[in-house]
Amino acid sequence: MSKVQQLSVSKTSVSKVAILVLAIVFAAGLFVVGFDQGHIFSVVYGEQAFVDLTIHELTHDMRHAAGFPCH
Amino acid sequence: MKSALFILIVIVSGTLAGAIHGTVNFAIVEPYLDQAIGIENENLFASGEADDNPQFWADYEEYRVWQKSGQVIAGMILGVAMGSLFGIVYALSRNSLPGKNDVTKAVVLAGIMWITIYLIPFLKYPANPPTVGDAETVVLRSILYVSFIAISGFGALAFYKLSKKLQSDKKYLGLVGYAVFIIAAFIVMPENPDEVTAPMNLVNEFRLMSVLGVTSFWISVGIILGLFWNKFDDANSSKNDS
Ligand SMILES: [Zn+2]
Repeated sequence: MSKVQQLSVSKTSVSKVAILVLAIVFAAGLFVVGFDQGHIFSVVYGEQAFVDLTIHELTHDMRHAAGFPCH
Repeated sequence: MKSALFILIVIVSGTLAGAIHGTVNFAIVEPYLDQAIGIENENLFASGEADDNPQFWADYEEYRVWQKSGQVIAGMILGVAMGSLFGIVYALSRNSLPGKNDVTKAVVLAGIMWITIYLIPFLKYPANPPTVGDAETVVLRSILYVSFIAISGFGALAFYKLSKKLQSDKKYLGLVGYAVFIIAAFIVMPENPDEVTAPMNLVNEFRLMSVLGVTSFWISVGIILGLFWNKFDDANSSKNDS
């Protein structure tokens, strides 16, 4: 192992693979909370909401609170 | 730092900071969401789309309790997502950030990211409580919001890189450049097409609470990732400083 190589490792300090993994986590998580458009906007749909749109409903309040466009 | 350890501390700090964000929202934002949804219910009764009867309120209560439970869970999901972005930027910029230890460095970066990818986009497209948004325009509003975040974030990055090339007495020009750039973008980008029909004081108070919630996330994620980094970074432990 050369010194040059060690230096370059300590400069970036993390691998490209790790960055790619985190980039995917970022995109997926952001979409689920911020932009999935399946959410229903009122209680008039009743129980069906709990069956069909669980994730959207679950993230709905955070979507408003964190500033994402919603209803 | 090993990849697996790096990913782990980024995910854990994002999750913890997201849980704090969700908990803060649960306490301070939910009352405003309830008020706004209350207005929606009144509108439903007025238009005859729903009946103001005990069954409606029973369903409504059950629905809201369940929906509120999502604040903390969604906070953790969003926290992992934003925390991942934060971890990436931190790993790449750590050597250039000011500060003696990782907590200071991480909090500085969290502050920069809070301003560029949250606060400035928020000033252009502020958060709205339920009832304000028109379902017809939600795709357009999402595109505008994401575009503005990207413009601000990548703009900040570009001007930062530019300032690194400048001589030390001219580095402030990078900041000036970003300011001019973002003001131009602010003016050029179209307005949110939706008209706010809800009472303005409700909307404003909601927005303030929303900002406090998101701010709690950025402060937390900076401190937590910084603490983890201090603890687990090989370079730190070999020097034996805290
Ligand atoms: Zn909504």
